[in-house]
Order: sequence, then structure tokens, then C-alpha cells
Amino acid sequence: MPEPLTKELGNRLRGVVGDSWVIADPDRLLAYESDGLTAYRKTPRAVVLPRSTDEVSRVLSILSQEAVPVVPRGAGTGLSGGALADGDAVVVGTARMTDMLELDPVNRLARVQPGMINADLTIAAEPFGLYYAPDPSSQSACTLGGNVAENSGGPHCLKYGVTSRYVTGLTVVTYDGKIVEMGGFGRELGGYDLLGVFVGSEGCFGIATEIEVRLLPKPEGVRTLLAIFDRLGDAGRAVTEIMAEGLLPAALEIIDGPTIRAVEASVFAAGFPTDAEAALVVEFDGIEAGLAADVQRAVVRCREAGAREVRTADSPQERLALWQGRKKAFGAMGQIASDLLVQDATVPRSKLTEVLERISEIGIRHHLTIANVFHAGDGNLHPNILFDRSDSEELSRVERASTEIMAVCVEAGGTITGEHGVGLDKRHYMSLVHGPEELEAMRRVKAVFDPLGRMNPGKVLPDPPQAARAAP
Amino acid sequence: MNPLAGLLSERLSKAQVVDGFDTESWAVCGRLPQAVVFPESEEQVAEILSLSSEEGWRCVPGGRGNWLHGGQPPQAVDVLVSSERMNDISAYEPADQFIEAQAGAGLEALESRTGKCQQWLALDPPGGERGTLGAMLAVGTAGPLQAGFGSPRDQVLGATLVTGDGRVLELGGRVVKNVAGFDVLKLVTGSWGTLGMITSVTMRLHPLPATDRSLLFKSAGAADGAELACRLAQTPLPLAAVELLVPGDGESEVGAPSPLVAVRILESLDAADEAERVVSGRSDMPPVQRLEGEKSAAIFDNVRAMEDGAELVLRLSLLPSRLPELVEMTSRLKGLYDPTEGWGMRLAAHAHAGVLRVMIAVVSRSDEAWLDRANTTLGVLRRSLEAEGGSLVISQGPPEIVDAVSAWGDLGPASLFTTGIQAAFDPAGILTRGGSPQ
Repeated sequence: MPEPLTKELGNRLRGVVGDSWVIADPDRLLAYESDGLTAYRKTPRAVVLPRSTDEVSRVLSILSQEAVPVVPRGAGTGLSGGALADGDAVVVGTARMTDMLELDPVNRLARVQPGMINADLTIAAEPFGLYYAPDPSSQSACTLGGNVAENSGGPHCLKYGVTSRYVTGLTVVTYDGKIVEMGGFGRELGGYDLLGVFVGSEGCFGIATEIEVRLLPKPEGVRTLLAIFDRLGDAGRAVTEIMAEGLLPAALEIIDGPTIRAVEASVFAAGFPTDAEAALVVEFDGIEAGLAADVQRAVVRCREAGAREVRTADSPQERLALWQGRKKAFGAMGQIASDLLVQDATVPRSKLTEVLERISEIGIRHHLTIANVFHAGDGNLHPNILFDRSDSEELSRVERASTEIMAVCVEAGGTITGEHGVGLDKRHYMSLVHGPEELEAMRRVKAVFDPLGRMNPGKVLPDPPQAARAAP
Repeated sequence: MNPLAGLLSERLSKAQVVDGFDTESWAVCGRLPQAVVFPESEEQVAEILSLSSEEGWRCVPGGRGNWLHGGQPPQAVDVLVSSERMNDISAYEPADQFIEAQAGAGLEALESRTGKCQQWLALDPPGGERGTLGAMLAVGTAGPLQAGFGSPRDQVLGATLVTGDGRVLELGGRVVKNVAGFDVLKLVTGSWGTLGMITSVTMRLHPLPATDRSLLFKSAGAADGAELACRLAQTPLPLAAVELLVPGDGESEVGAPSPLVAVRILESLDAADEAERVVSGRSDMPPVQRLEGEKSAAIFDNVRAMEDGAELVLRLSLLPSRLPELVEMTSRLKGLYDPTEGWGMRLAAHAHAGVLRVMIAVVSRSDEAWLDRANTTLGVLRRSLEAEGGSLVISQGPPEIVDAVSAWGDLGPASLFTTGIQAAFDPAGILTRGGSPQ
């Protein structure tokens, strides 16, 4: 256990946020010992839950004076260990900062506190015919502050882009309590794109305490189709063919054979044939009049690629049924294995089939079940490794397989994370994709925001090279 | 050769160096460089910048020289580094929808290459197709298509940057979804060459739409046009662009059209028909013109070229719903130009973004007080916009004005980070420009 807060520091923090909102009781701290990546566990020294920008500023100022490192935390749904507090760090959580500050339907703009849940924003915007586009799978639980930190994606970013395209302004509190405004819709600022570099900085630059985002009008129509394949490679080919048609689906998602069987064996059974090796979900949205033709062209491409069955859905209920298998895949896998490592990497779309074959070989070689659920349209893979954490020998095989999968994706021209972030989990893979100069440039940029290294220490960047290795 | 050009030439045996009269077309905001150098590789760019850092020579990266009158004037220019001879398209993968090219590659070359595979770079920054890819990213400005596709920052996948001290950084990659580390590429986009010289760029491409259709709606005056543009931009359909176009005083007289609102629809045929029906319904009148295919694209090519020949270009911003107020505010600029000189003042607004471009052909210098008048007018207008959460940017203008008023407004507490970021990339400060980005 880390050393508890001194009485004096605890009292100063309570003086800002109130007695109930500084958590130091070891039993209650257990809830904060991991995020969505449960393979890593660390109990923080304390958790502070401020309510406003002003409180965050005062809390960070106090912690800075005492040289205490800070780990920001939203809902703790992250999958890279980014919200874990190491050593003497204190967690500053946004769980109480859930207000909608402003909703401007005319300008299609919302300003929210960072603890607001992603899906709640869309619910609030719905009466005005608007929605918030980035839709990470955890959207019913994850917070918008967490989305900003991770630059989150989701199935529909194939067409609509990731979080950074939607964040138009931020209020940020730096490690020492300074409050800084970045961006703002309706104005063009000179200077560098601070907003752009802050989004995706994984809590290493500061805490976003107010977030301004763009909303989109809800598409007039949505059409979904599901194609079942006997070979995973055929599903990959269908994806390539659909994109080569010049179609831009809102989502193009694949679940593979092992995932289909996990889904069908679970309470989430979606009626997939269990001998199939891939299910492809294709969704189109936009102007109603154009959708039928798009769907028809995609159906033809799926059939030509070897789909044995294609189902289409028009009503919201039918669409939900087609999505069921994809959306519940993680839950289903949780039912058949005690632990699940959700990997995340991106490869150029044309390399999907080749990379999936190599991942399958890696699984066989390490005697591991690897089930793939992925955003095929933008080449964002999620190989999920099923394992039992209590078996240390198996755990070491999981780690070796993970490293090999990363290397294969990078070799194919891809990258080590498409949407889950680097966090704690992938910092030692960073040198697979970045050279020493690029890592040094990132270190220098972090130092501009956080010169003393107090914000989320030990995340994202690998430890600097030893002096002997630093020479070019 | 002057001593600086001589030394550059001697040290860089492979890159062409020019000085004297040959530098005249390369003046940066009125400042003549001592030498212009044309490297042919990233290694040569690194050599030039690291030598300049050692010698303390002030450098300005450029492409074909289209943007040299824009942005914040540098205090002085010793070396202008042009990417003109670095123009290879190094990788184009239609199946993966990306293109990678050296920074000096022209946008027209990209368009002709990708067009053969029914793809395009869905961006239309000011300046037209004669611009280079590197300049487009360094300036970072979006055109009318930002309504449908975002700006360069949303479509760039990767870039190579040679920093002020000659380090070569490979930023981003070739895939759309990439969160491996801090997004340094965002800092480079729109940094006007103050962090380093961009030597190659990888962009995301889009499939060419089946239908490219523009609807032109006429309005009685600029104010009515602004109201209409606002109303059309609020259509809950995915329109690629809604642009208000107000011709210059001189242009109206020669029979050019009155203010127009141009709506661009890039969809499949059925969807385009439906969008046209909805948009026309919202406008309460049929379009005066309906252009399809190349003619539709041509109208928006003209919008890109609207800044050509303007001595002063301003970008005024407020929330999109306040576009009519922005247009109204341009009446305060009447003292800055003589409507009979050239085409007077043109306006063009991106209705979805709340950005109004003001182009003035010739800044009036009719009396000695012209500069004070211009500075006061622009300063007051900037302050009133900033007070309302908006901004005024001088995109290009006479150096005397930009020196006094500054291209950009006050950054507030965010300026705290500016110096640090610059020092991280350009420790010797050879790329610094007068104001912000500092």
C-alpha cells in the first residue's frame, strides 16, 4: 500500500472539495485500483473528487505545492492502464463534474463538464435532432473528459472521424493550478494548435475541466446489413471491395469465428451460424433517398466476395438485432474466459487479411485463444486474448503474443494503438513506431505543459534512454 | 554573391542558392531575403537549417512563394528555403486511401494523380491548386469544404518535419486511427513554418462523389445573403459547403452577379436530388443557377481564387448564427479603401464555420493619416469581436499594417506555452516571426 496522505494535506484538500470527497479509506480505494485493463492493479494513495474548474485548480495547486503527482481519472473504462496511480500519486477524478453547461442547438454546440457520460450528451441533444458523433464501445459509461484524454474513436469514426475533430474548445487546468482556455468555436486563434495537441494527451498535460464540442444533425436515414462468411479473408475482401466502390459506410465492423462462437454460447446469442468464420456489419447513414442504392451495391460486393448469407435491416429494432453480436462481443467473451486482454492496433486496410492470418498463427504458436472484433473500415484491429490471470505461465505467453502482434502490425505499416491509447500498457512498444528523436520531441512538448513531470507520471512515454544510449 | 549566400553555396554543394535580383520574387511580407535556397532532399533541408542555427541566420520555409505575403512578418529574413524542387509523389495507395508526397508537390499534381482512381483530397484552401501540399499544411487554413470534410488538420495523417536545429521528425503515419503518443503533428499544422520545415506530407483521401452539384441563390443585398446563408447552413442534411459570396463594388458595376449563396452538394444522385429539394424549400425560392460536375467544381475554384490580387485579406469570426452581424460590421471598413480602385471590397463567408473573409483590392493611401486610420479601425474591430468571443485575423496585408496591428489577436494565458513549444523545436529561434506564433 502507498503511504497515506498526511493529516495536514488531507485537511487542505477536504477544505476545497468537502469532507466526503477526499477518499483515503483503503477499502474504498480498492474501487480505483484498476481501469478497464484489469491485468494491472495499483491502489492510489487517495482520490479527490472536485466539482468545478475552480476546485480542480485549487486541488492541483495544493498538490503541486506538496510535490505530489496527479493521475486524472474519468469513469475508469480506459483499456491501457492510463488511469492507474503509481507510487505517491493522488487520483483526481471527474465523477462529480457531470453538468451540461450550455447546449446551443442553433450553432450545434455543447459545453459540458468532463465527467458527463458520452451517451448522455447525445440523449440531451436528441430533442433538437442532434447527436455527438464519436461513439466508443463504452459510450454508456465512459466520460467525455476521458474521451478527450484518449482521443477516442468508435465504430462510426470511419465516416465521421475521431474525438479531435469534434472538440472545439477546452478549459484546462495545469499541474500547478493555472486555468487556460484553448480554442473556442467561432474564433480563429493565432498561435499553435494547443487544443489539437491536448486532445489525446492521456492526462499527461493537465485536466480538461470544460469541454466544448460540435454536434451533428442526426442522419435522416440509417440502413444496416449483416453478411456471414465462411472465411475471414473473404470478409476482408468484401471490405476492400465496398471501399473501392467509392462507398463511404458509417461503419464497417467484423467479428471473427471464435467471437461468433463466444457470442452464441453466451446470453447475448444473436442467431449467428456457429460454423461461420466471419460476420460483417455494414451501416450506411445520410440522406434517406440515397441509402437503398448504397446498400444494394454493398450487398452485391459481399455476395461477390463469397458471403453465404446477407441480412438487411430497415427498422431500428432490426438494426439493433444485427448489431447485437458486435456490440455484445466483449461481454460474451467475458463469460467464457476469466480474463480478457483487449488489444488495439491499426493497419492499412489492404493489409487486414494478411495481418489477421499472422495473428492467428501467433495464437496457435502460444496456445492462446485470440478472438478478433474490429473496425475493419479503418483497419483498427482488436485482437482479444482470452486467459486466466492466476496462471502466471499463461500470462507470460499472453505478453509474448501481445508483443508479437504489435510488431506484426507495425511491420505492415500500421501503429500500436488506434483508439485505446498508450497508457501504462504500451509505453514499452512506443519505440516500435517512434525513433529516439520523435520520442524526445514528445518529451519536450510534455515538458512545456508539465515541466516537473507531475501529471500522470510513467504513462505514454518510455523512460528516457540512458546517457550512454542517448548519443546519436 | 553576398557573403551569406556564398557560404551557403560553399557548404551546400548540391542545393542551388540564389541571391541579388533573383530573390526579389521571394520577399516575405516586404522583407527581401539575402539568399534563396532550393534543396532537393530532406537531408539538404536538415543541413541548411542546422547551419543556419549555428550561424544565427533567420530562415523562412516556403513552397512556390504563394503565401509569402501572409501571416506575421518576420523581423528579418536571411535565408528563404523553398521546397519547390521537392515535389515527388512518394506513395499512393488507392485501396488504403492515402497519398504521401514531398512538401513541394503541387495540389494540382495530387488532384490529377488521385482523380484517375476516382479519389480526391477533399480540401479547398484559399489560393487554388497552384499551392503546394507543404504550404497548405503549414498555413492550415480550410476553405468552404470544411463544412463537409473538416480542415487540413482533420485530414493529415503524417508529415516529416525538419526542426529549426535540423532534427528530422517523422510524425503521425499512414493510418487514420492513430493515438500512439502525443499528437505533435497538430502543433505543426498551421504553425506557419515557425517550428521547422515540412518536407513530406501524408493525406487522407476520399472517394470522388457520384454527383457534384452547386445551387446558386441570389439575394438582394449582403445582409439578406447572410441571413439566407445562415438558414441554409442550418439544414439538417450533410451539405459539403454553404458559402456567401458578395462581389466587389467594382465587380457589380460591370454586370457581375449580386450577392449569392452557393450551396455545394456532394452525394449520390438520388441523395443530391433530395438535398436540392430540401435546400430549395428552405430558401423560399428556386436557385438562379444549378451547376453540375465540372461547372459546380469551377464555381468553388473561383471562391478559392477570390483572394488573388487583394492587398488586404481579413478573416472575421463569430458563432455561425451571427454571420449577419459579421457582414454588418464590414461597414466599419469603408474608410480603408476607395471603391473605385480595383474591385473595391469582396466578401466570402463559410456559413457553417462563422468565418467571413474580407478582401480589399487596394488599401487607400489618400492622405498621411491612412496608416493610423487603418490601424485604429482594425484594432477597434478586433477588440469588439474578441469581446464577443470572436476574432479578427489579418491573413495578408501591407507589412506596415500587420507590423502595427499583428496578424493575430491576443492569445491570453495560452501564450504561456507558445515560447516553450517554439524552443522545443527551434532552440536558436531562427524561424521566429514577429508576433504570434512567436
